[in-house]
Amino acid sequence: MSEPVLHQQPFTNIQTLKPLILTPGDPAGIGPEISLRAWLAGSHNIVLQGDISYFREIADKAKLAINFAEYDAQSFAGNRDTNCHVLHTPWPVPPKLGTPDAANAGQIITAIEQGVAGVKKGQFSALVTNPIAKDSLYQVGFAYPGHTEFLAHLDGHGKRPVMMLANAELRVIPLTVHIPLSEVESSIEDADLSETLLIIGDGLKRYFGLARPHIAVAGLNPHAGEAGYLGRFEVDKLAPFLADFTLEDVQISGPYSADSLFHKEARDTYDAVLCMYHDQALIPVKTVDFFNSVNVTLGLDFIRTSPDHGTAFDRAARLNARPDSLIAAIKLAENMALNAHGN
Amino acid sequence: MTKPRIGIIPGDPGGIGPELIAKLLSQPETAEKADILLIGDAHLFALGQEQAGADFEMRTCNPLDGDWTEGDGIAHYPRETIAPDAITHAEVSLANGTSALENLNTALQLAQDGIIDAITFGPFNKAALIEAGLGHEDELHYMAEFLGVEGYISELNTLDGIWTSRVSSHIALSEVPDYVNEERITKAVHLIDNVLKRSGLSRPRLSVAALNPHAGDNGNFGTEEIDVIQPTVDKLRKGQVNVDGPWPSDTVFLKAKAGDVDGIITMYHDQGQIALKLMGFDRGVTVQGGIPFPVTTPAHGTAFDISGTGKADVKAMQAAFSIACNMVSNWQAS
Repeated sequence: MSEPVLHQQPFTNIQTLKPLILTPGDPAGIGPEISLRAWLAGSHNIVLQGDISYFREIADKAKLAINFAEYDAQSFAGNRDTNCHVLHTPWPVPPKLGTPDAANAGQIITAIEQGVAGVKKGQFSALVTNPIAKDSLYQVGFAYPGHTEFLAHLDGHGKRPVMMLANAELRVIPLTVHIPLSEVESSIEDADLSETLLIIGDGLKRYFGLARPHIAVAGLNPHAGEAGYLGRFEVDKLAPFLADFTLEDVQISGPYSADSLFHKEARDTYDAVLCMYHDQALIPVKTVDFFNSVNVTLGLDFIRTSPDHGTAFDRAARLNARPDSLIAAIKLAENMALNAHGN
Repeated sequence: MTKPRIGIIPGDPGGIGPELIAKLLSQPETAEKADILLIGDAHLFALGQEQAGADFEMRTCNPLDGDWTEGDGIAHYPRETIAPDAITHAEVSLANGTSALENLNTALQLAQDGIIDAITFGPFNKAALIEAGLGHEDELHYMAEFLGVEGYISELNTLDGIWTSRVSSHIALSEVPDYVNEERITKAVHLIDNVLKRSGLSRPRLSVAALNPHAGDNGNFGTEEIDVIQPTVDKLRKGQVNVDGPWPSDTVFLKAKAGDVDGIITMYHDQGQIALKLMGFDRGVTVQGGIPFPVTTPAHGTAFDISGTGKADVKAMQAAFSIACNMVSNWQAS
């Protein structure tokens, strides 16, 4: 992966970057705790959505020395602020760590809607979402397979949301996501490939400071089909598609054998990999750096990142969660905002 | 103590196999670990030394005629499988494939007859082997037929003490779900369990990877985990196999990386190969599982882009040779 060119902003300009808004996710999970740990680790240009008294309770229990303030855009001092700002919205019932309560599900969803509205209005520079648990949201009629699809709905322009996983070593995009492996090949259409490549190319240019990004495309079959001996998808569909498809100022190459695409020397040759299925993308990104991987949604009108893990209900009450992935998500969102700002 | 008797063949003459052999054998410690029998054309081994810029001595012998390990240094069983000017460098050809296959046949016969204990081979080019009449999806299936093996066979891949076996291998991804059944999973688990036990681990710790994303997410993204994989793992555990799973395949390798697991049973080729090659592209080794003696090779291919340049990295070949030696030393009757 080539070095992204971060548009170097003078320090004062970083202060003028609008704060990032952090949704609470499920308050019974590790979201509130890791948000506070991220703030303590130095990410101060963030505003936490949620109940300020609940945050105080978590901070006390986890022995985190934090001063809280209700968010006020006028007094907020960005990265120099010594208070942790909370956009106060009370929970309908007091959350209990480790035990999700459907009574709070409506507010979890409302918080996401408010966060998106705030980013779209320009009050916040990016949306960073904490983990939700779909099962409890389904009980109140949430009808989306996940965060990403819900955000695309709120964005409201009908483009496909594109999920990218990123860390300092690797950026991967699974073309198909949460479907059985048996349905992968039959579900891939040329239109998905072209729309996804377009969104990745635009995203890398706009948010990652890459003037002419290189997207490598993985094959579907072992050895990328070995000239048709191990599957026809590459020969019949993917290679002809790639031969005909061009994007301005984007280099696209492939299809490559997926098992030879992710070691260090290979990673140095491209900026992102378009993978054909979920685990083809997730195995390498998690193997290369499990704790610092970030989930990014491209194709929206705003910047959205999130940590690459779930609510961890089973461990939430221990209050010893690692905030690494959320911190990485905040840093990446900030860099993306600076790059978009500079463009 | 007698040394392991390792037969080494060049693999595809147009690839980096000959060069790797020269680099391996020019290191003095190589010949200390084993009695080595080179099988193949004298000019191929000379070519490798020229490409590598590395020399080694070899003595001619006929292993069919008395004990070939008597005598000093590296033994050579000369064959004539290809004329020097018929080699196509860095190119797939019938001549290259035929040479690779003929030397493989000789080595397999010697091992079957108990004249050598194990085989390490330089990289093959599959397309060339197929042109030369391989008649199978890969060399493993060819070897199994040659040797009359009827049990379960699977390529095993290994890196830094992590081993993988597969429920399916060189087939299209769309065919993989058809291979995910109780019989194949059970055999893939037993195979890696046996190979690891025969290689000296008394109770290998094994984990089975899931097929679908998030291990199917309770059936939301596929039902093979619920219908097939979980019941099979449960049954194996009752049969006293030290195995667990199915685990989401994007995190199962982290367990191995942390040293908590010795072997992972994968459902398809790239599930294991992506992780292993990421962790050690230059050191991975393939072991032909289910063959009655150890057969090892570097996990990488013929590297036509650099063959003949002397730039080939010998680490995987060294590892393949060492694993063959270790397996012979620890080999216990199954």
